[in-house]
Amino acid sequence: MLSTITSGAVYGIHSCMIQVEVDVSQGLPCFQIVGLPGSAVREARERVKVALKNVGVRLPPMCININLSPADLPKSGTMFDLPVAIGIMIALSCLPQESVQNTLLLGELGLSGELKPVRGVLPIVQEASGHGVRRCLLPSENAWEGRLAGTMESVGVRNLKEAIAYLRGEKAGEETIDPAASYDYSAALQREYEESRLDFADINGQECLKRAAEVAAAGFHHLLIVGPPGTGKTMLAKRLPTILPPLSLEESLEVSKIYSISGLLQQTHSLKTQRPYLSPHHTITGQALAGGGKIPTPGIISLAHRGVLFLDEMTEFKRETLDILRQPLEDKQVQIARSSGTYVYPADFMLVGAMNPCPCGYYPDQSRCRCTPYEVRRYLGRISGPVLDRLDICVEAAPMDFQDLAEHREQETSARIRERVMAAREIQKARFGEGTIRFNGDMGAGEAERFCRLGRQEKSFMEQMYRSMRLSARGYHKILKVARTIADLAGSERIREIHLAEAVCYRRTEQKYQA
Amino acid sequence: MEKLDQVRACRHWLCQAAGMGGHRFLKELEKTANPESIYELARTGRLEEKIGRQYQKKAAQLTQFAREHEAAEDYQKLLERGIGFVTFRDEDYPAGLAEIPDSPYAIYYAGRLPEANRKSIALIGARDCSEYGRHMAKLFAQELAEAGVQIISGMARGIDGIGQRAALRAGGYSLGVMGCGVDICYPAENRSLYEELTAQGGVCSEYPPGIAPRALLFPPRNRIISGLSDGVLVIEARRRSGTLITVDMALEQGKEVYALPGRVTDPLSDGCNHLIRQGAGLITSPQELLTELFGACPQDEPCRQQKLVFLEGRQGRLLQLLDYQPQSVQALQGRYEEQYQDYLTVPELLHGLMQLCTGGYARQVSGSYFMRSGE
Repeated sequence: MLSTITSGAVYGIHSCMIQVEVDVSQGLPCFQIVGLPGSAVREARERVKVALKNVGVRLPPMCININLSPADLPKSGTMFDLPVAIGIMIALSCLPQESVQNTLLLGELGLSGELKPVRGVLPIVQEASGHGVRRCLLPSENAWEGRLAGTMESVGVRNLKEAIAYLRGEKAGEETIDPAASYDYSAALQREYEESRLDFADINGQECLKRAAEVAAAGFHHLLIVGPPGTGKTMLAKRLPTILPPLSLEESLEVSKIYSISGLLQQTHSLKTQRPYLSPHHTITGQALAGGGKIPTPGIISLAHRGVLFLDEMTEFKRETLDILRQPLEDKQVQIARSSGTYVYPADFMLVGAMNPCPCGYYPDQSRCRCTPYEVRRYLGRISGPVLDRLDICVEAAPMDFQDLAEHREQETSARIRERVMAAREIQKARFGEGTIRFNGDMGAGEAERFCRLGRQEKSFMEQMYRSMRLSARGYHKILKVARTIADLAGSERIREIHLAEAVCYRRTEQKYQA
Repeated sequence: MEKLDQVRACRHWLCQAAGMGGHRFLKELEKTANPESIYELARTGRLEEKIGRQYQKKAAQLTQFAREHEAAEDYQKLLERGIGFVTFRDEDYPAGLAEIPDSPYAIYYAGRLPEANRKSIALIGARDCSEYGRHMAKLFAQELAEAGVQIISGMARGIDGIGQRAALRAGGYSLGVMGCGVDICYPAENRSLYEELTAQGGVCSEYPPGIAPRALLFPPRNRIISGLSDGVLVIEARRRSGTLITVDMALEQGKEVYALPGRVTDPLSDGCNHLIRQGAGLITSPQELLTELFGACPQDEPCRQQKLVFLEGRQGRLLQLLDYQPQSVQALQGRYEEQYQDYLTVPELLHGLMQLCTGGYARQVSGSYFMRSGE
């Protein structure tokens, strides 16, 4: 007899519904899985056989054929154990086919029949809800992910026995899971807010740095922090997520999907509520950064999606590694091609780089820095130009005075800065509408011309600046974009001279030594 | 070929053969024989027999060199490249150099050598100079050049180059003394200055053309800088620096040393202040130096060493806080509040500073560092 079970698999950020077809018929006893199964999928055979035996289902000596359709997609992972086991039982007429109608099944089986959590449940469940699936049967650890799809009833079960019982209608799933209750996102946000201990108020002084961070956060501009060791570059970068607007539910789902695929959601048992902050060590390989493996898993840049990717000691990164960032910075996603297909992961992150100004770290303080101009130039030259060009805002961290450290001035909290940032983002939302451009930082030269119109007075000011600062056309547009954000922060419709002046300060100065 | 040229050709050949630092040996050699006969001996391989035991190694070097190079041919090539050559026996050898101990055997030059009947000043200082040093070097070089003083220096980055460039701009004469062959421009970033010097002034070196710059070649050239000058003016120098080597040479040669005073806390003025304490002439304006050189200042003008600018309002107050040393925006913010009891937000502060920059009063050094402009 034949049975069909609905299951799913993840390919890149997209997932795909997989039909598990099981046929049991007379013939030489065999048990085979077709449809391009990976080794983990092929081994389901052994796990399912033993698990069924241990819950009291004896497999008769018959010919069991399993097809994973669509059969031309390579399958990997252990989530097909449960659908295969249930499929066999239906094919053996131990369960009615109707019991699994419109039901999604995912889960890994242990030999004793217990169900273990699997990766990527969230994207599969979301995909399934669009395919008319109304119910999902998941390992109890994954059950909360099932509830996130909203329209679906999610049932968590601890073992195969419970699953069978549930499908027979004998006993409901785990008591703790209430299928009606949808996931309470705002409560999770509140919880995160209360638990977070990082705050901008921890940073004494460094007003210039904080201001630049606020502008960067408001317009989603990439940021470069240059400064001597021990001036709070890392400290500031760590606190950046606290002034970025909280993740909206859609954003959170996007981010959580990536974390679900990477198997990183299981520890927390909740959606990602905080914007990701990733700070890879400078010895990181290209694969780890962009994503890699035979079937690629998300890399650091995808895990930083909608959050902050902080590259500390940016000059120490290998040039080739940094060059990998060029395409994702442009397209906001990363494409990884493998023989099995091309995988796409989103990678819309805010790049924050930190570096010393020169090999000794103290330039331009001439009483301490003894680096020659040549050394300084070569040090900065280690980062490839195209990557540096993407960093709209460059700011310098000055060494701290003792006064700044000792004197405890009232520092602004992250919450207050976040309010201003969010107000500026509202203005941008109204300006750009629902297009591909979401923030000022995303604007190209054309949009910059369109949205950053200058008045006569401002134009002549910029002309003066252009000449005296020897700006380039690209530099000019960058300044316009940043000035737009500064004006948005000030709630000003027009870009004024004071906004432009500040933006000019944030440009990257190619220090040219005149002899 | 004329007699004179033949002697010079042999001397050029000797300079090349002896290599760097060979000037003492060559001068010794000339005491015993004329250059033509030395060349002839080297060519025929009999030099080693005729020469003292302590010079056997050098003699072998010369003999070896004679196999590969022909004196007249090499000299012809040199002249074709427009490089001048003058030796210590020639009449056109600079008088100042002839007087110094350990004077060079010969000088190669492109452009012109300084005129003996005009005053010359060596204007020297730190390579990584401050904005203050940059300003002062320009000012002094310009005023001195306008008064007809020849500026001698090392064409290095920093004070040297700035001063020489300013002297040329003012229509004066300047000579760059190099630590490599005169056909090589070092440092490469001074290419435009090198070209201006060869056109309007001169560059010279005791090393034959083609000798690449090496660290050990630079200290000896300092004695030529001071030797060609009537006095040495130090604009800005650290306590231990190449500049002070030149000063030592100048003192050995009995030349006057002048220095610009600076702030006690400034490491770049430390060397100058130290020199003044030891008795160097304290100079605060170009006119003072001209008085020292000529006995009387040609035009008795008040010092215009610093244009004091007064601006109205916030800009003016900000300018008062700026210095010739770069200061961070944060430091400026603190000082502004301290001095005027007025808290400026970062955007306000940056706006004010950028206005000063466009006005030419201030300079953004890098990112959030600002300083007073020396223009």
